Amino acid sequence: MNYPIIGAGAVSSIGGDPDAIFASLCEGRSGLAPLRAFDRSRFNAQRLFEIDDRETEGVDEPGRATRFLVEAVRQAVEDAGLPEDLAGIPVLVGTGLRELRSLELWWRDGVPFEADGLHFEDALRSRFGAVDTHTFAGACSASLYALALAWDLLAAGEAETVVVAGCDVVTESMFGQADRVQFDPPPSVRPFDKDRRGTILGEGAAAVVLSRSAGSRPARGLLRSVAVNCDAHHQTAPDAAGVEAAVRQAHEQAGVTPPEIDLVVMHGTGTPLNDRTEAAVTAEVFDAPGPALTGIKSLTGHTSGSAGLLSLVVALSCLDSGTVPHVAGLSDPLPEGAGLRLVAGEPLVGPVRLAQVNSFGFGGVNAVAVVGGAA
Amino acid sequence: MRIAVTGVAVALPGASGPEALLLPARPGAEPVDPAAVIGKKGLRFKDRATRLGLHLAHAALTDAGLLAAGGPAAAGDRLATVVSSNLGNTDTVCRAVETIAKESTGGLSPMDTPNASSNIIASETAIRFGLRGPNLTVCNGRGSGLDAVRWAALMLRSGRADHVLVTGVEPDNEVTRRLVDGPVADGGAAVVLSRDTGRARALLGPVFRTADPAGTAARLALLAPGGDLWLRADGGPAPASARLLGLTGWGELSGALGVVQCAAAAGWFAEGHDGPAYAVAGAAGAVLLHPERTP
Repeated sequence: MNYPIIGAGAVSSIGGDPDAIFASLCEGRSGLAPLRAFDRSRFNAQRLFEIDDRETEGVDEPGRATRFLVEAVRQAVEDAGLPEDLAGIPVLVGTGLRELRSLELWWRDGVPFEADGLHFEDALRSRFGAVDTHTFAGACSASLYALALAWDLLAAGEAETVVVAGCDVVTESMFGQADRVQFDPPPSVRPFDKDRRGTILGEGAAAVVLSRSAGSRPARGLLRSVAVNCDAHHQTAPDAAGVEAAVRQAHEQAGVTPPEIDLVVMHGTGTPLNDRTEAAVTAEVFDAPGPALTGIKSLTGHTSGSAGLLSLVVALSCLDSGTVPHVAGLSDPLPEGAGLRLVAGEPLVGPVRLAQVNSFGFGGVNAVAVVGGAA
Repeated sequence: MRIAVTGVAVALPGASGPEALLLPARPGAEPVDPAAVIGKKGLRFKDRATRLGLHLAHAALTDAGLLAAGGPAAAGDRLATVVSSNLGNTDTVCRAVETIAKESTGGLSPMDTPNASSNIIASETAIRFGLRGPNLTVCNGRGSGLDAVRWAALMLRSGRADHVLVTGVEPDNEVTRRLVDGPVADGGAAVVLSRDTGRARALLGPVFRTADPAGTAARLALLAPGGDLWLRADGGPAPASARLLGLTGWGELSGALGVVQCAAAAGWFAEGHDGPAYAVAGAAGAVLLHPERTP
């Protein structure tokens, strides 16, 4: 079983659509910049991967997660050649931090806000006429979890077409809590490097249109499986057993064996623990030389709940172009990565037929997707 | 595939079981004390919503016969968790931003870090009870509790799990009161949904959304005629022959509402009623059926 992905959209700090983001990744352009709207005197860390869209420089505004979501969905729907009326189409949104930034501005500064503004129903209804809308707050793997549920909706015959999205902006509470425990903030994100020092948050949104049948235009790719599970182990420390189970389940559901996978877009947060665990699991699952491995967070930052789907949209570009962007900032791989084909230095050119996308989150929530080329 | 409600738990002030939901709320009842049910161990640094969620999970899993000493009484990777909560961690988020403004991030407690993530209740539940299947948090407004039930049922149908613990919980505090402009329920309910099984407290019928509560109510009556219990808090009508239960006496139930409604339906069937029960939360709706009636 597989389902065509008939449209894609994305926004991030390094580009306003999937093509621009992919070009930035291949050219090594980073979205890391000094704090754009938070009070710099309050934080040790001074840089984030924010999207530069605020009306007045230095002044924060509510509703930005919603804005990015609406834009990513608009792009995906347009790309799929669908009308903008989504009345009969479920819209599933995975997010780590919902509109909690708007909640913060309400509580601290008295910006108008109410409970219904925490999720995205009203915005999706007013902009697209969508009725069957869902907000899932599943930490950093939320958008791939939403993709798994979209798969189930199609498999059960409950929908013909589903829009799946992810979106997140940086909240001051999450940035602040991370700042509290990172006494020496990392100057950059360097996934899988032996000298990696941690992650930095980013902002972004991504959306795809998944369908039971091909649309009027060529599909972007074929979704082969999405596996989801939970480590049930620790809030912040990943568990190799849970991660490996998710990877193997994704392969099994897709009916593929490890040697068939050409590319893995890794979760790769640049934290010591994630990258060590993910590299070890990858080495365990794949025999050498194994697939090409890349990751995008050195240039986009960790975009929280939208990260998984953003990686998937990048995987679609890799399938389409036969180019795999390198892991920026990676010069000396970590010991667990010895023997792995981490793409470093420059993009790798060559055919990519089947890609795996990893996404793991706070609380041990794991999601792994397998996606193939449309041809 | 038949989907059964195999475990039910209720934790609201003065209401510790499904039958209590059929009676008026008792004014001045004591707040729920999770430590009295699950002990104090492991509750330090957990926010109120997470403590209430762990309490509900323990009670519902026990009721379903899924808790053995030292871990789950079924394969952990076949046990999924779905939590519905709109307001759960809003107090942590608001307190953090206030502290940062007053003192910088140095004033924050590192122990609050996990609580800044909206999936804290679901992940703590999985960790405490060894639930290694899919772990989902639904934050979808008024209909969120019934939406959570719908996704749980879908994951059972698609084969991602054999049992799903669905918890709906909201905490009462200064932040949540201001957000909803009134008192919040400070508790909720949990149900265990299972694939075909012997013992059931209720069966789950269709769960869906339409454009508005009126449309949802009309479709419920069409899909499963003859309902004798209407669970709806939106002020909408119910036929004179049916019981109408708003469940408004505990304060705003928000994301807990739909799950509390399912628990109330189980209580209704336990009292001997056998017609279908309808639940309307926001624009989401669900049919619940007496366990001996085939859907």
